Amino acid sequence: MKKKKFNITVKDIALTGVLIAVIEVCKAALSWAPNIELTSFWVIMFSLFFGKKIFFVIPAFILIEGAMYGFHLWWIMYLYIWPFLAIMTRIFRKMESAFSWAVFSGVFGLLFGFLCSLTYVPIGAWNGGFTNGVRMAFGWWVAGIPWDFVHGAGNFVLMLVLYHPITRVMKRAGRMFEETKSCN
Amino acid sequence: MSTKTKKLIAALAAVVLVAVMAVVFVLFREKPVEGSKAITLEVVNQAEQSKVYKVKTDAEFLRQAMEEAEGLTFSGTESEYGLMVTEVNGEKADYSVNGAYWSFYVNGDYCNYGIDTQPVEDGDAFRIVYTPAQ
Repeated sequence: MKKKKFNITVKDIALTGVLIAVIEVCKAALSWAPNIELTSFWVIMFSLFFGKKIFFVIPAFILIEGAMYGFHLWWIMYLYIWPFLAIMTRIFRKMESAFSWAVFSGVFGLLFGFLCSLTYVPIGAWNGGFTNGVRMAFGWWVAGIPWDFVHGAGNFVLMLVLYHPITRVMKRAGRMFEETKSCN
Repeated sequence: MSTKTKKLIAALAAVVLVAVMAVVFVLFREKPVEGSKAITLEVVNQAEQSKVYKVKTDAEFLRQAMEEAEGLTFSGTESEYGLMVTEVNGEKADYSVNGAYWSFYVNGDYCNYGIDTQPVEDGDAFRIVYTPAQ
């Protein structure tokens, strides 16, 4: 059986720009609300509707985030957190109910602090051994748990409310995207 | 397994996760301590000059202890995370303006909490360090 080739076309590059713009605009619009964000929602939706192309969008998004806000520790966290979400979404892609995706997104929000804290393990270990790294990561994670609850609840509600209307729009946009001719 | 059962299991797993995290937070968060404490506050400015303040306080959180430190002045912007300190002893480090910020350390470790919720314990040594843009 012939393997399907994964080519990046000019159309894909344009699509990447549009998807990143959508994420950035939503990020800016919700910047006043602590730990309420639509990035998780969009990464999940784009992973579902644009398949493997999301692995082209995410590195570009992370790079733009670094360029806009500076390449600090949080940027290292972004390097694995968003690809992790996209991979998990691809694994669970057969789920179809809004409730299931809301739980999925909510759990990701709950675990966000824990996933971020993993960065502190090597940092702490560098200064005082592995145990110090784990202690540092654990302390950092525990301090942020109340905000993880806010993050999880926000992700759950946003997915529950937006899943159906955005799915309808994405299906239409996906069809239009496929019908548009592209020069490679 | 039916879709309904799968949804129920997913929801239950999420509830269990919330419960576990709540227990971990209650058990392991840094708790404020009542009573008198003797602490030190060290400010390291942009020129890397150090000034140490010895404070005897009943404060449970860092902000009040800083307010009680004679000669130490600070200000910033109030946010949902508490006061975000942008000026210490008249010196500004505003991330949104020049990329610099004031780092807070307790006993050598980076503070995990803002100054409004950072607990103070007897013997604590706090460092407030001007950290330039990288």
